[in-house]
Amino acid sequence: MAVLEMKEIFYAYEKGRPVLSNVNTQFDAGKMYAILGPSGSGKTTLLSLIGGLDTPQKGEILFEGGNISQCGLAYHRRNHVSLIFQSYNLIDYMTPIENVALTAKKDVLPMLLRLGLTSGEAKRNVMKLSGGQQQRVAIARALASDTPVILADEPTGNLDEDTAGKIMGILKESAHGLNKCVIVVTHSNELAAQADVVLSLKRGSLHTV
Amino acid sequence: MKAIRRAYLYVIRKKGKSVLIFFILLTMATFVLTGLSIQKASQEAQKNLREALGGEFCITVELSESNPYFRMDDDGEGGFELYTELPITEDLINAVMETEGIEKYDASAQTLVSTNMAVFPGNVPLKGDLNQKVYARTVAGTENNSFFQSGIMELTEGDHIAGKVYNAAVISRDLADLNNLKIGDVISLQADKETEVRVIGIYEIRKPDPAFASIATYEKLENQIFIDTAALHDLFGDKTVGFFEVAFMVNDPARLDGIMSEVESLSDIDWRAFQVTADNQTYLDAAAPLQKLQALVSSIIWVIVLVSAVILSLVLIMWGRSRIHETGVFLSLGIGKAGIIGQYLAEVLMIAALAFGCSYFTGNTVAGRIADGLLQQDILAKEGQLNDDVAFDVKEGYGDDVMVSIKDDSALPDVPSGQDTAPEVEVSIDGAEADTKQISVTIGFYNMLQLYFIGIAVIVLSVGVSSMSVMRLKPREILSKMS
Repeated sequence: MAVLEMKEIFYAYEKGRPVLSNVNTQFDAGKMYAILGPSGSGKTTLLSLIGGLDTPQKGEILFEGGNISQCGLAYHRRNHVSLIFQSYNLIDYMTPIENVALTAKKDVLPMLLRLGLTSGEAKRNVMKLSGGQQQRVAIARALASDTPVILADEPTGNLDEDTAGKIMGILKESAHGLNKCVIVVTHSNELAAQADVVLSLKRGSLHTV
Repeated sequence: MKAIRRAYLYVIRKKGKSVLIFFILLTMATFVLTGLSIQKASQEAQKNLREALGGEFCITVELSESNPYFRMDDDGEGGFELYTELPITEDLINAVMETEGIEKYDASAQTLVSTNMAVFPGNVPLKGDLNQKVYARTVAGTENNSFFQSGIMELTEGDHIAGKVYNAAVISRDLADLNNLKIGDVISLQADKETEVRVIGIYEIRKPDPAFASIATYEKLENQIFIDTAALHDLFGDKTVGFFEVAFMVNDPARLDGIMSEVESLSDIDWRAFQVTADNQTYLDAAAPLQKLQALVSSIIWVIVLVSAVILSLVLIMWGRSRIHETGVFLSLGIGKAGIIGQYLAEVLMIAALAFGCSYFTGNTVAGRIADGLLQQDILAKEGQLNDDVAFDVKEGYGDDVMVSIKDDSALPDVPSGQDTAPEVEVSIDGAEADTKQISVTIGFYNMLQLYFIGIAVIVLSVGVSSMSVMRLKPREILSKMS
C-alpha cells in the first residue's frame, strides 16, 4: 500500500501558468525516490505540498489513505513527514543533541554517533560544525522524529562530492534499513541514479524516468 | 522539546539579547515600582492627614419659617426673642453618636446670667447690669469642649461635666479664689429663674486673654461658668431649652459625606427643625497637593507602562524578523504556532522574573530619592501653609465663633464673622506634622504583586503584537523568506 499519494494536484503562482498540473503519483515505504527537474520546474513546490507546508489549489494528498488537510497540516508535519533542507535549517543557539531533541521520540546521541559525529561534536554549538556535519545533524533530526516519510530538498547542494555521496548513502540506508519512504529533490543525475525510483518534473507533470 | 526548555536555551545562549531585554524590563520595573511606591506613600500621607486633621459636621437649629418649631416672640422691649420649641437635645446627640465613624462631639450653648459671686470686670463699659453678668456655658461635657480641647483651659481640680449630672458647674481657679469657693460649694445663677449649681470642677487658664484686648466682663475667660443641661432647664423654667448647635468630629474626613447621609436618614429626628453642614475644608486644603501628586504619579505610571510596552514591542518585532528562520524551522518540524509564541513569551517572562526581582532594590533606591524630594516638599509646603494661613473655627453655640490661629484673614473666606472681641487662641497641628513626617516611601509586597501583574500584561501584549506579523504567514511563505 502507498504511504503517500498525490491525486490530480494543481498549483499555480500566477493565473494561467501552473507549476504543477494534474500530478498523480504514489510513494511506497522502503524506497528512495529522486525527483529531477531544472530550476523553477516546481520540485520544491511539490515537496512543500507533500510536507504540508502549503496546500494544493486543486487535488488532494493522501497519507496512508487519509487526506492530510483533514488531520491538520501541523499534525502531518509533526507525525508523518520529516524535512531535510539544503541549508540544513538548524537552530543556531542549540547543540546537535538539542537540535535533534526538538523532534526526537528516542535517545538522540546514538543516532548522532551512528551518523558519524563524535560525542564532543554532539555537544558543541551546531554553528561550529562543518557543512557536512550540520547536514548529518539535520538528517539525524529527521530520522529521530521516527516519521515514515523523509523529504529532502537538495540535501547535498552545499556539500562536496565525497560528503554528498555519504549523505545519499545514509538516506538510502534509511529507506531500505528503516523501511522509510525517502523522497529526494535534486538536479544531479548522478545522485538521482542512487535512488530506487527516479521521477522527472517537466512542464508541471511528473513522469517516471 | 517543550517550549519552556527551548526558551531557557535561548535565554542562556543569546546572552546579548537577554541582557538588553533585562535592562529594558529593569528600567520599566524600576520606574513602575517607583511610581507605585510614591502613590502608596501619597495615599498613606492622605490617610495620616485625614486622621490627624479629622473633619466635622454640625447640626444647627434651622432659623427660618421652614422650621415648624421656630418661634419669634416680642420681648416687650422693642426687640424679639428667637427660640425653637425643638432644640438639639441630648437624646438627639446620643442618637447621632450611634452612627459609626463619629469620634466625639462638642455641644454648647451660652447664656448671660446674673450671679451672686464677685466677678472680674472687663475693660469695655456696658450699660445696666451687663457689667455684672457672666456667660453660663451649657455643655454636654466639658472635656470635649473647644476651650479644653484647644488647651486654653485645663481642668486642674475636681471632675469634668460628663454624662448624667444634675446642676453641676465648672469654674475658673481665679473665680474660685476670688469668692473663696472650693469643690462642693454651691453658687447661685439667675436667668428667667434663679437656680443653684454645685461646683464639681475647677479649671486654670493656660492661654490668657491678650493684655490690651477689649473684653467685656462676660467674655473674660476667668468669668466663664460651665453648667450642665439640667441647670439650663432650671434657669429657663418651662421654656424648651437645649443646644443650638453641635459639632460632631469624625475620624476620617473622607467618609464625612457618607456619615452625614447616614445621620440625615435617622428617622427618629424631625429634620425640618435642623440643618446639617459639613466642615472638612481644612482636610481638603491640606490634602489637595497630595491628591495632585497622586494624580500625577498615576499618569506617570500609565505613560511608563505604555512607553515600555511600545519599546518592548518594537524590540521584539525587530528580533521577530531576525528569528523568522527559527520560526520557519519550528513550523516545518510540526511545532504549532501556540508552542512557538509560548516559547517567545516564556523567554521574556524568564528574564522579567529576574529583572522584576532586581527592580525591588533599584526601585527602592530611586523611589526613596525621588519621593524624598517630591513628598517632603509637599509636606513642608503644606505645613507652612497650615501654620501661616489656615484658621479653625470653633463652634460655641448661638452663632458665636472663636477664631483660632488667624494670621492672614484673606485665607478665611468662609469663616463666619465673630465678635470683634473674640479671644484669639492658637491650636497646634503638631499631630499632623508628626504623622506626615513619618511617611516613608518603600516598596512592599503588594507593590511587587502589582508590578508583576502590570509587567506580565505588558509582556503578553508586546509578544502578541510582535508575533502577529510572522504568525500570519503560512509555513511555506516563512520558508521562502528564509531562502
